[in-house]
Amino acid sequence: MGNLRPGHLIEAALWLILCLFLFIYSFEFNQDIEIYKFGASAWPRAIILLMAIAALGQLYHHWKRGDEASSEIISKATDDGSEDAAHEAHHDGLKWYASTFGLLVIPFAYMRIPDWIAAIISVEGAGVHLIRIIVAAILVGIFIYYMRRNMIGAMLTLPVFFAAMLEDFGFYSLAPFFIIGVMFLFGERRPKFMASIMMLILGLLLLLFVKILYVGLPVGNMHPFYDIGSWIVTVLQ
Amino acid sequence: MDAFNNFLTGTVTLFSDPLGILIFFGGVVGGMLFGAIPGVSMLTLAAILLPFTAHLSPEHGIMLFSVIYCTGVYGGAITAILFNIPGAPENAPTAFDGYPMTQKGQAGKAVGAAVMCSALGGTVSCIIMMLATAPIADWAISAFGPPEIFALVFFGLAVASSVGAKTFWKGWLSILIGLMVAVVGLDPVGGIERYDFEMPYLLAGIHFIPTILGFFAVSEIFVQLEKKAKGSYKAPKLSVDFPSLSELIAHKWAVFRSIVIGFFCGILPGIGATLAAFMGYNEAVRWSKTPEEFGKGKLEGVISSETANNAACGAAMIPLLALGLPGGALTAMMVGVFQMHDMEPGPLVFLNSADLVWVVFAAMFYANVSILFVGFLETKTIINLLRIPFQFLAPMILLLATVGAYAVRGLTIDVVVMFLAGVIGFFLRRSGYSVAGIVLGLILGKIGEQTFAQAMQMVHFEWTGLFSRPITAGLLLIGFATLIGSVYGEFFKKKPTTDG
Repeated sequence: MGNLRPGHLIEAALWLILCLFLFIYSFEFNQDIEIYKFGASAWPRAIILLMAIAALGQLYHHWKRGDEASSEIISKATDDGSEDAAHEAHHDGLKWYASTFGLLVIPFAYMRIPDWIAAIISVEGAGVHLIRIIVAAILVGIFIYYMRRNMIGAMLTLPVFFAAMLEDFGFYSLAPFFIIGVMFLFGERRPKFMASIMMLILGLLLLLFVKILYVGLPVGNMHPFYDIGSWIVTVLQ
Repeated sequence: MDAFNNFLTGTVTLFSDPLGILIFFGGVVGGMLFGAIPGVSMLTLAAILLPFTAHLSPEHGIMLFSVIYCTGVYGGAITAILFNIPGAPENAPTAFDGYPMTQKGQAGKAVGAAVMCSALGGTVSCIIMMLATAPIADWAISAFGPPEIFALVFFGLAVASSVGAKTFWKGWLSILIGLMVAVVGLDPVGGIERYDFEMPYLLAGIHFIPTILGFFAVSEIFVQLEKKAKGSYKAPKLSVDFPSLSELIAHKWAVFRSIVIGFFCGILPGIGATLAAFMGYNEAVRWSKTPEEFGKGKLEGVISSETANNAACGAAMIPLLALGLPGGALTAMMVGVFQMHDMEPGPLVFLNSADLVWVVFAAMFYANVSILFVGFLETKTIINLLRIPFQFLAPMILLLATVGAYAVRGLTIDVVVMFLAGVIGFFLRRSGYSVAGIVLGLILGKIGEQTFAQAMQMVHFEWTGLFSRPITAGLLLIGFATLIGSVYGEFFKKKPTTDG
């Protein structure tokens, strides 16, 4: 086994599975092009082949040298300490990964579940909006419950969750909660301080982008969030 | 003499028009500011301003973008040095030594070096650009076809494969991820949909601005939180200790080498400042007597990459104006400005709109000179950003990145893509992969595939035909030699030098 650890084998297996998936999917667009005899799939397949070779090369490196860096000076030059930080914070175990990916499911659940429910109970228009608000509230509750148990997982999830809800709830309604959430995850616990900083950040951003540069930010598409967003834009512009 | 007269005419035209002066200084300050604010970049500003240039004259529109280009490339160095967040990919090598310098309390010195070298590299590049535009454009038109550009992309990727990753293989895997992401969307020859997973959004491909913001700005926030969680996060130390003249004179060869590298990388379409910065840094390591000190806060690392990337800015205008080929993201937006005014960049611009060309050249020259003065003043203000605790800076960076990603196309899915890129970047970084490699692969992937297809059509699908063209053959052979040397080192080198 040389210096191989289970993590190395999992890493190589993930790469090879990805290559296999991409290769199989390439048959979906494996079409001839009259003026180009290699067709549409030759270039991506060449990349896939190189990816598989590099993944096997990486496995060989792990077998021979374990986690040591290559002797390339540049590779050492770019060590930003993120690997050590992960290891020392015990954020590299199977349990941590399971918990983190569990949290990361939340935004995708928001993107899918309301439409599924609406399709099952045949609801349209305002009914779908109500389902979205209820699903969002439940998912936010789940997120807050698990947040304290895995702060890094929560930090990875929060921005994606924020982005997933942006279309429906709008920037103006979500941004205050997002700012407070990020500050909380970074360890800030003083409520008055958090509220002041939130208003300061939001005020500066709205002044610069909405008032001065006229950047149209998403206002949401559900009542009352759409009304709040539109009102702020009207007041500022 | 003609060039000097044209330059004077351009200067007079630029400074005799109050609106022109206003746009010029707006571009200088805006480029620096957006380059320097963590989470946004000159590309964000350019994307925001692009629709408004329809109301400006073509001269003012192109001039504004070229000024933002010069000062924004410098501004991106500030975030690279202070926060390890490169404002743009071309500032990534600046962070290699700039950020360790900040952690050692030498932020002022690193930023000061970036100011002086950006101004120097950019100004010299502008002067050469003005003197040599015509002959170089003529040479490039005759000597550089798709096979040469493809060979150059291959050479660039082969050289850059070792940059930023823990191992050679992880460096290549990072670049290959970028190349694969660039495949998503329509194929450049037949317009066939690839890896779109039946999602209309993916038909236009994954946009590079949200991806860059995610991989660099967002993943950095996640890494900082993890460092905080294990208690190793240290607020950077403050100082405003600029480098002395003797320190800069001691690096004169590094500056000269980087100007040459930067100019030649910049002049070649599709390569631009990113590869210039990486190659400038790489060559500095190769030529140094103390290569082990790189990456730990060596001034020469900052000097080399910042001189090279600004030297590339002036040169990047040559393929844009002479051939109509954008060298990077911002020059691609300039093509958009031309098109909004029903103009096509290319040789005809030189013939029909010489005024426009020389106003742009003069503006770029003065923008680079102004980096020296405005940069020093602004640096002292920006350095105070370090006094803000990270728990307050983090939400601001994330929201600025949100606005930046959304402003490009007005799509919330771009914001989702950006944050997902941040999550992926976080996991890849902690596993020793290179986010800079991914971004390089993403940017060069489309150009690489397109030029490969054109090159193969030109040589009637006989790959040996590529070697009948001297420049193509030379670049391909050097690229292969670099690759084989790295693979040989991986398999046959007995013990890696891990302690530097």
